[in-house]
Amino acid sequence: MKKHSLLKKAEPYVWLLPSMLLMAVMILVPIVTVFQLSMSQITRAGVIKGYNDFENFKAVFRSPTFWHTLKNTLVWTVTVVGFSTLIGFVIAMVLNQEFVGRKIVRAIVVFPWATSLIIQSVIWKYSINADYGSLNVILQKLGVIEKYINWTPTAQAHFAWECWIGIFVTVPFVTFCVLSGLQSIDTAYYEAADIDGASFWQKLGRITLPLLKPSLTVSTVLNIIYVFNSFPIIWTMTKGDPADRTHTLATYLYKLSFYNGKSGQAAAVSVIGFVILCICSSIYMILSLRAEKEEQ
Amino acid sequence: MTSRKRKKLIQKICLYLFVLVVCVIILYPYFVMFTTAAKDRDEMYALNMTILPLEWKWSNFIEIWSAAPVFRYFLNSIIIAGGATLLAILCGIPAAYAMSRMQFKGKSIFLGLVIMSQMFAPVVLLVGIYKLMTTLKLVNSLLGLILLNAAFNQAFAIWLLRGTFLSISPEMEQAAKIDGCGRIGSLVRVLLPMAAPGVVTTLIFVFINSWNEYTMALTLMSTDTLKPITVGINVFYGFNMIQWQYLFATSLFATVPVIILFLCIEKHLAAGLTAGGVKG
Repeated sequence: MKKHSLLKKAEPYVWLLPSMLLMAVMILVPIVTVFQLSMSQITRAGVIKGYNDFENFKAVFRSPTFWHTLKNTLVWTVTVVGFSTLIGFVIAMVLNQEFVGRKIVRAIVVFPWATSLIIQSVIWKYSINADYGSLNVILQKLGVIEKYINWTPTAQAHFAWECWIGIFVTVPFVTFCVLSGLQSIDTAYYEAADIDGASFWQKLGRITLPLLKPSLTVSTVLNIIYVFNSFPIIWTMTKGDPADRTHTLATYLYKLSFYNGKSGQAAAVSVIGFVILCICSSIYMILSLRAEKEEQ
Repeated sequence: MTSRKRKKLIQKICLYLFVLVVCVIILYPYFVMFTTAAKDRDEMYALNMTILPLEWKWSNFIEIWSAAPVFRYFLNSIIIAGGATLLAILCGIPAAYAMSRMQFKGKSIFLGLVIMSQMFAPVVLLVGIYKLMTTLKLVNSLLGLILLNAAFNQAFAIWLLRGTFLSISPEMEQAAKIDGCGRIGSLVRVLLPMAAPGVVTTLIFVFINSWNEYTMALTLMSTDTLKPITVGINVFYGFNMIQWQYLFATSLFATVPVIILFLCIEKHLAAGLTAGGVKG
């Protein structure tokens, strides 16, 4: 009898085992390795020489490129998540109205979400080429511009285009999270508000936004994580160049590790990234949980 | 016309204008991809460029298959994405089942760990992943990418499946249990058929994620014949001459099926993603 109850107690863990095993080996082991490497001296050939008193972190902190990259990463994350949340929200509000062709528009909005980031980036890279890019060609034929414009004269311009692509590919995710939230709101609230003569903005602030909070929290937290860690867009567009001015942490650590042979420093950058991400996500979660509590 | 009616009309016009602008912007890259894919190579760098091809060169869509091992890239993508999807769902279903139907110690910790794993994107772990794959002798191996993609999609698979399972009342399974059905029996015969939309959504979502994955494949696959399509298209991106028309023709083949698949699950997906979170 005792053996039977023990088996019963162990049963849930057996069900969890395959999944946990897979994640432990493929995700947990690399995490541990990254932490270990960040503290170790590594030769260019990849031989680990043991603990080196945070020398990797010190080297990273000494590098001006790192600080510039850190600033870029914050600008990148805030710009892309901020704008795509705003735009995605507006598009979702519009798609929640009844109009002819709504289904087709819904389908079109899905496109960027389903397209590989690498393909999306390559198209934009071609499109904004100063010599033969299609953006110049189209604008010229439409009579908007006379001469071809160099769309990327500076590193900042490159970075701005990368942010634009980031926004472009992130908007659909927000749109559909918000849309599914909007569709679960009981229309009775709006009917009651209409009877009371509430304006559009009053309805938005008092009904829509508070009820959308769960959807917006999920989409924002996930987006912060994805955008912060996003690699293909910047790698395809500039590889962090010109002169390492357009890196984010993700591309910077890739270059450090696989181009410059500095895996120790790359691992240190990874660890710094984890820490920032953990802090940001916890702050956001705590704030949104607190706001929820205050309302109750 | 009363002012109320006029206001309504103006609102409607604004709505359509807004929708039109959104659609034009979103479709723009696809328009570029399509028109460029059908241009002749000489037209690509011509002085007086046109928006549409002067002559639609449909043969580009056939030439790509012989210009590079494009077929092999597609096959690799199908193997990697298909294998990862199968593995992710086979591991994910029992885990999601345990997390939605059983009570046990540390359940919330497990759920927390699953969500936490989302924080670690492949790119920040690449140094560690590369080392692990070297140890396991899985660099330049389709199996390696299958395992990795399955692992990095576990969180989403469990999240989506658990949300689906929670939305289904356990009464039917209890009835099946009384009829002598074991846990596995009731899962396979009762719960899964009812959860089919959610399971299919998860399958397609994991497939698309793995199909579009780039970073790990770029780092781990240096043997040309083992590259998936996202990395393989770089063959047209040479140092001297970029074959834009082939690049985009291939991209089109890699994009259209995925968009169609995505359209099938779009409705369930958004609801599933947020629902899993709310019910957590």
